[in-house]
Amino acid sequence: MKTIDAKHKDLRAVNQALRASLNGEPVTVRHAAHVHGLAAGLKQGQVEIAGDAGDYLGVLNAGATLHVQRNAGQYLADNMTAGTVIVDGDAGYGAGQYCYGGTVVVRGDAGDFTATMNKGAVILVAGDVGDEAGTYMLKGDLVIVGDAGANFANYLIRGTVYIGGAWRSLGHNTRVEPLTEADLAKLRGYFEQYGLTADPARFQKVVAASPKPFYN
Amino acid sequence: MAVIGAFCISVNQEACLNAQMPGKCATCAEVCPHGVYALDLASGAMHIQNYNACVGCRICAEFCPADAIRINPAESEYLSRYPWTLAAVEEVHAKAQTGEYLLRGFGTQGPTPNFDTITVVPSQIASAAPRDKYREECDLEVIIGADTCSQPLRLKLPFVWAAMSFGALSQEAKQALAIGAALTGIATNTGEGGLVPAEAWLARGYADEARAHKQWDPGGYLVIQWSTGRWGVSADYVNAGDAVEVKIGQGAKPGMGGHLLGSKVTEAVSRVRGVPVGSDALSPCRYYDVQTPEDMRRMVAFLRDVTDYRVPILFKLGPSRPYADVAACIEAGADAISIDGLVGGTGCSPDIVTQGVGIPTIACLPPAVQALKDYGVHRQVKLIALGGLRNGLDAFKALAMGADAVGFGSAAEIAMGCRACYACHKGNCPYGITSQKPELRARLDPLAAGQKLANFIHACAEEVKILTMLSGHRAIADLSTEDLRALDMNTAALTGLKLAGYERPLPIWEALAPVGRQGNGHTASERRSGSRGARPKTRRKPPLPSLN
Ligand SMILES: Cc1cc2nc3c(=O)[nH]c(=O)nc-3n(C[C@H](O)[C@H](O)[C@H](O)COP(=O)(O)O)c2cc1C
Ligand code: SF4
Ligand code: SF4
Repeated sequence: MKTIDAKHKDLRAVNQALRASLNGEPVTVRHAAHVHGLAAGLKQGQVEIAGDAGDYLGVLNAGATLHVQRNAGQYLADNMTAGTVIVDGDAGYGAGQYCYGGTVVVRGDAGDFTATMNKGAVILVAGDVGDEAGTYMLKGDLVIVGDAGANFANYLIRGTVYIGGAWRSLGHNTRVEPLTEADLAKLRGYFEQYGLTADPARFQKVVAASPKPFYN
Repeated sequence: MAVIGAFCISVNQEACLNAQMPGKCATCAEVCPHGVYALDLASGAMHIQNYNACVGCRICAEFCPADAIRINPAESEYLSRYPWTLAAVEEVHAKAQTGEYLLRGFGTQGPTPNFDTITVVPSQIASAAPRDKYREECDLEVIIGADTCSQPLRLKLPFVWAAMSFGALSQEAKQALAIGAALTGIATNTGEGGLVPAEAWLARGYADEARAHKQWDPGGYLVIQWSTGRWGVSADYVNAGDAVEVKIGQGAKPGMGGHLLGSKVTEAVSRVRGVPVGSDALSPCRYYDVQTPEDMRRMVAFLRDVTDYRVPILFKLGPSRPYADVAACIEAGADAISIDGLVGGTGCSPDIVTQGVGIPTIACLPPAVQALKDYGVHRQVKLIALGGLRNGLDAFKALAMGADAVGFGSAAEIAMGCRACYACHKGNCPYGITSQKPELRARLDPLAAGQKLANFIHACAEEVKILTMLSGHRAIADLSTEDLRALDMNTAALTGLKLAGYERPLPIWEALAPVGRQGNGHTASERRSGSRGARPKTRRKPPLPSLN
């Protein structure tokens, strides 16, 4: 496996080295916590981030698979359209925002504003999330195994939010619905695929009360 | 100031074909998209069923085969009943009935400080002699990102189409803007609603996706807008153009984000934006993925990286605190900064925000220029003036105040046929410019409208040229505030321009007057070499912010 040491390198140098190395084989990047926007806009490839990742990891990701062995910074997988981003530790503020597609898996906790304006990605958090998770989500799934903070799923328009624990307060335009067989199968599928231990039966489902909420 | 109850409709019964021969003509009912006229199917007679719905677009008068219709503003009341004009009364009634605030398209109404109270100072004997518009050259080119990216944006003329989104505009209008840009070598802008696919090749002058045949010379550019709603944004999207514009705000609704009503979210718009059909698309008022100036710098850095350091990064600001905001854009790494003034156009906004929030364009420019100068990057980081520009005269004044280029939004709509009826938000534009309805869109031919847009730009370019040369300059980059005078105290106070007659800035400005430009309006280096002065290479922090 090819390795890039990001120590003392700037974003341009690291991403250029990364793009040049991605020819079918996975690439490991070390010492990349100071690099914000690592692996931006990649169309393919497999990147292993040894240690922590900085902010905006995998921004505009368009097909690559990224794996962070420890924690990720803020805005993980921002505006991703395809690919997979997996973090073994925690993710900071705003993980999985503005995504049109792909999958984000955070095995630890995620911060405030997780999956805000998600427009089609699957975002799984094995731990807890902060406030405003799923705010103004327009499509896709947000699955939280632990608890959520305040204003959960605020102004949900479309898409589905599943939660295994409790929320502090539910946002506007939300409705809690019972899980269907299809929901259970979907959750089971996600948990199996990403090796999460959780019982789908104890989850609650939150959907939009109306696809056309009245703003005034 | 609402768009309800603002117009009186008179139909000359003697001329009206329908009045003479009921059933023989129903043109007004057919063309009016606001349901003002109704045809009685039994008798064939036409009547006016809703006076208050008239927005004054005048398409009925334009199409009436007998020239029988006149639409007059109900504004004579302005004098006798102000502030309780008919429109103000109707506005209160509408709110009392619905409990909703009003929305408005197009822009600000009524007088606000603008370029009209500034005059151009021509060259005579004491200053550099005028140049001959007919036989001498004038450099109108503007290059953005010359020292930061591998493919700088080379505008042939100092104009851009302001960002106007697909959704707010019809697909046909987007295409027309792209063709107009291709015919003139200027840039069109996706706006915040994602890419209409044809825009990318039409803007470069190609009629086909494969770009095999260049149809329109010299070919223009496409600016990709990156905004808080991130509608239709992907790595491919940011790479589809010749620049990326980070939208912070716009003049019509600074601090509010975008506003596209559900009635305009059709199947096609929904596909690009990812909002359900019929549901309002309300962009957030701020970036969810930026919390600090450091984040903004990182955003610029990754946008440069994703576009392979190829294209310039632009910022677009609403009119708030121009000095500090422009400084923040410079610090974030902008190659160009657009600043949109109070009267800047819109597809749809709350009308109190469009009417009452923000700083006029003429008052935004001096602090914006001062910030660029304090950082040593004026004319290196380009400044683009937006908001209320109507012609080459306005454009010249903005350029002389220190902008490098200007943008047209409303004027572009008008060049395509718009009659400034302020009802774009309703989605029933009678000219198919701001409508998504197929029957109204069919009224706009992108080729013909593209040509009109190009004609408008060419005319404005000639106007800028005339004014540049009569004031003794060979390039727009050599213009300065010395080429202008304020015509009244208010304008002198807002802009720091010398007051005509008094021939000095008002004393409140004198302490801040920029050094290095005096007398005949030519810098020392200009006098020496006949060209622009040397530019500092690095961005330095200003010694002391002098404004805001
Ligand atoms: C129909 C319409 C749609 C607009 N859409 C956007 C947009 O998507 N993004 C943006 O930054 N500004 C948008 N604007 C504002 C313009 O980019 C520009 O700031 C403004 O129109 C300039 O003022 P002017 O209309 O007086 O020329 C829009 C304006 C109009 C008229
Ligand atoms: S809205 Fe336009 S078309 Fe309709 S009556 Fe008024 S001016 Fe005529
Ligand atoms: S674009 Fe159309 S709806 Fe908007 S002001 Fe012009 S004519 Fe009226």
